[in-house]
This record gives sequence, C-alpha cells and structure tokens, in this order.
Amino acid sequence: MFGIQLAGNLLQGLVLGAVYGMATMGLSLIFGVLKVVNVGHGAFMMVGAFVALWVFNGLGLSPIWAIPAAFVLGMALGFIFFHTSMKRLIKAPELASLLATFALGILLEETVKLIYGADFHGYNWIVGKVSMGITVMPMSKIYAFVGSILIALILYFWFTKTRGGTALTCVVEDSEGARVCGINVGRAYALSFSLGIGLTVASGVLLTMFIPVGISPYMGGVYTLKAFVIAVLGGLGSPYGAFFGGLIFGLLENGSYSLFALIPGLEPFAMTRFFSFLILLLILLIKPTGLLGTK
Amino acid sequence: MKKNMVMAILGFTALFGLVFATGAFGASKIVIGNPECLSGGFAKAGEQAVGGIKACVKWVNETYGGVKVGGKKIPLEYKLYDCESKKEAVTSLIERLITVDKVDFLFAPYSSPLTLAGAPVAEKYKKLFMDHGGASDRIFQQGFKYVVQTIGPGTSYHLGTLDMIRKIDPKANKLALVYKDAEFSRDVMRGAEKHAQTVGYNIVFKRTYPEGAADLTPILSDLKGHNPDIVLGGGHEPDGMLLARQMADLDINAKAISIIVSVTLPSFYEGLKNIADGILGPSHWEYGVTYSEAGAKKLGLPWIGPGQDEFVKLFKEAVGKDLTPEYHSAEAGAAVLALVKGIEMADSLDNDKVRAALGKLHFMSFYGGWDVDDTGLQVGHSMVDMQWQGGKRIIVWPPEAATGKPCYPLPTFSQKAKGTLCIPK
Repeated sequence: MFGIQLAGNLLQGLVLGAVYGMATMGLSLIFGVLKVVNVGHGAFMMVGAFVALWVFNGLGLSPIWAIPAAFVLGMALGFIFFHTSMKRLIKAPELASLLATFALGILLEETVKLIYGADFHGYNWIVGKVSMGITVMPMSKIYAFVGSILIALILYFWFTKTRGGTALTCVVEDSEGARVCGINVGRAYALSFSLGIGLTVASGVLLTMFIPVGISPYMGGVYTLKAFVIAVLGGLGSPYGAFFGGLIFGLLENGSYSLFALIPGLEPFAMTRFFSFLILLLILLIKPTGLLGTK
Repeated sequence: MKKNMVMAILGFTALFGLVFATGAFGASKIVIGNPECLSGGFAKAGEQAVGGIKACVKWVNETYGGVKVGGKKIPLEYKLYDCESKKEAVTSLIERLITVDKVDFLFAPYSSPLTLAGAPVAEKYKKLFMDHGGASDRIFQQGFKYVVQTIGPGTSYHLGTLDMIRKIDPKANKLALVYKDAEFSRDVMRGAEKHAQTVGYNIVFKRTYPEGAADLTPILSDLKGHNPDIVLGGGHEPDGMLLARQMADLDINAKAISIIVSVTLPSFYEGLKNIADGILGPSHWEYGVTYSEAGAKKLGLPWIGPGQDEFVKLFKEAVGKDLTPEYHSAEAGAAVLALVKGIEMADSLDNDKVRAALGKLHFMSFYGGWDVDDTGLQVGHSMVDMQWQGGKRIIVWPPEAATGKPCYPLPTFSQKAKGTLCIPK
C-alpha cells in the first residue's frame, strides 16, 4: 500500500515538476541575461491561464491551441514592456527593476480583473484518463507534461544550435565581451526579455492543463514564490537548471508526503514544504550557485 | 411668569439632555466604516458583501426612512476602503476610519483571519465591530467586547449535513475530513468531528492541506485508500474547486461530498460543470429560503428589512450588474439591519449602549433569525444545505426550508462525465 502510494505520488510529482520547471525557465532566462529579478512572474503566468480559459470557454477550442497563442502574446507583452520600461532600468540600481516588475505584475492583475472580475474561474476539459495501477493520470496532465518537455527541448536546441541562441548565451557569460565580438547586446536584452515573458505566459496555459481551476487575477503569487525557489535550486540564470529544479521540486513535494504520512501525529502535507526547503538549503550549502548555476 | 420661565428652562434642559444622551446631537448621518476585500484573494466574497451592505443601506434610507434616534430619522452613510485581502491593510484602514473619517460604527472585512486582525484595533478605540463574514469561533474566545457576529459560527457548518445523511442512509458510516489548515476551516471541521462522534460516524481519515497548496494529489491519493462514504472538506473558494476537480481526476467517489464556501458560489458550477453536480455545501442563506414577516410574527419576533426579492433587486442595483446574491451578501446586509435595530433599541449612537442593546436583540429578516450570546457569537441563525442538481442550486436541508429533495448517493465522477446528472430519485 505504502509503495503504491509513494510511486503514484512520485509519478504525479514528476508531471507537476515538469510544468513547474517550464514555468521557471522564463524567470531564469531574464535574470541570466538582464540580471533583472521579475517579481511579477506569477502575474504573467496568470495571463497565460486566462488565455487558456478564453480559448476553451470563449472559442470552444482545445487549450493546446492556447500554448502558441499565449507564447506570442507573451512575446508581444515582453517586447512592449521592455521598450517602455525595462530598457531604461537595466543599468539602474537593482531595486528599480525589482519595483518596476512588481508594478507590471500589479498592472496586469488589475487589468485582467477589469475584464474578468475577481471571480475564480475554471474550465472543464475532459479528455480521458489513464489508469496506471499506481495512480490515475488524466490525459490533460499528460499533455501538460509532454508540452513542457517539448518546449524545454526546443529551447535547449535553440540555445545550443542556432546563432541567435549562441549569441544570447554569450551575453549571459559576459555582456561586455559579447559587445566587443559584435553582438548587438541591446537586441539580445530585448529578445531575452520577450522570450522569457513568452515562455512564462505559455507556462500559464500548461499549468491550467494540470490544474484547470482557481484561475483568478491574483492566482500568481503562490507560483512566484515557487518559481524563485526552483530558480535558486536549479541555479539562477540557467534555464535548464530551472527545468531540472522544477522536476526535483515536484518530486520532493509530492513524494515526501507518503514518507511523512507514516509518522503518527504529523500533518504530512505541511511537512512537505519543510522538507522541500530543507533540501534547498542543503543543496545551496553544498553548491551555492544551485545545481546548474555558474559563478 | 416666573413659574413658566422655570418650566421652560427645565423643559429645554430635559430636551437638551436627551439629545446629548443619545449621542445624536447634530448628527445628520450615521457613518458605517468598512475595510472590505475589493481585491486580493477574498475579492469575490468582498464584492458580494459590499453589494449586500449597500442594498440594505439603501433600503434603510429610502424605504425605512432612516434610523430613528433621539426622535429623528437619520440616514446611514457607507464609507468603504479596499483592504486588498491583507491583514496589515485592515488594521491601518480601521485606524484611519476611526481617527480620520470619524465613522460611528465599523464593519469587519470578509473572512475570519481579517476579522481577527481588525478586532483588536476596534477594541482599542471601543468601536462596535460588526462581523459579517468571520465565522471562526476563536474570534469570540479572545474576550473582545465590541465584536458582534451575524454569520453563524464555524463549528455549526456541517451539523445539518451529517444529520441529513444519517437520516437518509444510516449505514453510511465512514467519514473523511480533508480541509485547509486555516482558522475557519479548522473550526468547521472541529464542529463536524464532534457532531460526527455524537451521532456515531466513524472518522476514517482526517488530514489538512496548507494554505496556498496548488496540487492536492498527495493528500487525495492518501484519502482514496480509505474508501470513505462521506467526504467533508475545503476551506475557501479556490481550494474547494481544486479539491472537487482533483477528486474527479483521481476517481475518488463517495456517497456524499460536502465542501465549504466554494460550492455555494456560482463560479463553482461554471468552472467545474458536471464535476460539481451533486456536491453539497452548507450555506447561511440561499435564494428560496422562506423567511417572511408573517413567519416572524408567528414566532413572535420583530421583523426588519426588505423581503427576499426586494433584497435581490436592491443588490443587483448596488453592484450594477446581473450578479446573483449569495450568502456573503445576505449576511452583510443582515448585519446592517441588526445595527439599525441596535441603534434604535439603544436610542443612541454611543457604541457601548448599542453593543448592550445588540446583546438583547432577537429579530428576523430575509436572512433568517438573529440573536447573539454574551460574547457576541451568533446563536439565532440556522444554516441550510444546498446541492447542485443538474446545474441548479437546490436547498435540500433542513426539510422545513428545502426547495427539493437531496440527491443521494452521488453518481460517480465517471458517470457524471458521461452525462449522468445528480437528480433525486
């Protein structure tokens, strides 16, 4: 019984972790290139969740179609926000960009609230389930998992096999050196901010495929916190590190429940957070730059 | 002549003293201050509460003619700030309402934690703090003097639910409690657990999930292994929806499922569709309850306020859209009516005198009965249980308030996904 439950929770955690990881890649990318901490991260995910809601409830289409739509919308938002605010703040003190992203987040929340109101929304996309013996997995979660893996792979190949991606990697390593080599660093900044926001908004769609309820203008806060933990775990500035950080976080969060449930008198769900953060601290003690982060 | 003069002076002094004693001297309006949740996590319930308060303030001013104090009718004025569903904003806004806006009475914001956060500030200034949406019993165990509740206590939420199931199916015995680790839901489940033991249920599972949990899969996988007949759970709106959705995802079926708060909101059905069908929710008020002036007369209780349909009309005007009022608006509106009755009984705007009057007040309105004990805890209001049946909200318990029969046992989630509706046989 214990073994089945543990295996089931680990499998569910792996699927959720992939979505968490994908949701954190944008945050890490923006920090890696621009050294900007996007504290409005969760609000951008919320925008993606509403795109999924609109595509499903408004257009009557599968939320899968919302992934490219959200990515394009996110890229556009990133482009606009970069040129109207972030561009001027790259060289400003860190607090200025921190507050600017915080303000952008609030702006997005209140704009969405004007359109959709303060209600909690959800959509009911039923595409079957797979009984795996150890657990039951809805197909919507499997699609979210596969989508997250595919996007992470595309990003990996883009970064390593294309000129644009290599240029961005150079800017992450040394922006001054990249400039000397003829890379248009300003354009790299704009591209990475737009790409980071595009990924984040798209991840909001994937998240709703996993959890299609609780969609509200203020839903982002909890995911901002998780994304920061995952980004630090994986190594701030490393999008792939963020992805693996997400996988580990999902496994720890879900898997540790079964272990704590064996101890009488404990509330196992509350302990999963304690355990996740304990592991985060241990990893940072051993490797302060995170799993895949570099100095 | 001299005698007439003395009589005139005495008469004037008596009148002057009376007006001063009421505290209504020169008062051209009675101001109610309210830090309410217009944004943040409780914005939906806050919107409902504001609509309910505005509807009843309008009724008092335009239909009732104002609040009678010191021989004259004084209108109510409603001063509102957005507390953003944050404790720190509640405390600072209450200070502002008292010291800057000089309001006469305070209304608490929605929810138990925010009511608990604001109460000490209201106590410091000896201001009456009308609690319309803080159900936690703990609020009334702190020794506060000025907090007066209209929403019923959290511990009473599931009493009717358990009685109903016991009556329909005495063999249903395995009870599971899965709920948010928060003040209000802990109270609700403490009350449910105590009542379940009294009635003779066997509690096979009792676990909490933390505030802000985004995925309940681990706790629900654990629950599934216990194969319960009845599941009681939830906390507030988003996690209640999540609980129902993920129970469906994991095929966790029970004969009855009751979830607090979120089930009573229209967004629950809109977001979950067939998954929501058949799920029960305890409610303080539902459209269709049969409280009336005639009913109050039969019970020997004074009646105040609009009738049910009039309240719905006033509520829709107040929010400016075709929004259905639910219990968060009704309890907030009823708190306005209680305050009006309290002021009139005290014939004063003095907060201590009004508080004392509220302690003796027992009345009925569209919301139902209203009576508080010495601590300010609501003891005169009865809850109902509602159930989604084919997309409609049906009051199923108690029998005297029911608008339909309960659907029991629930179809399984797989049956519901194939189109089976939860309609009573």
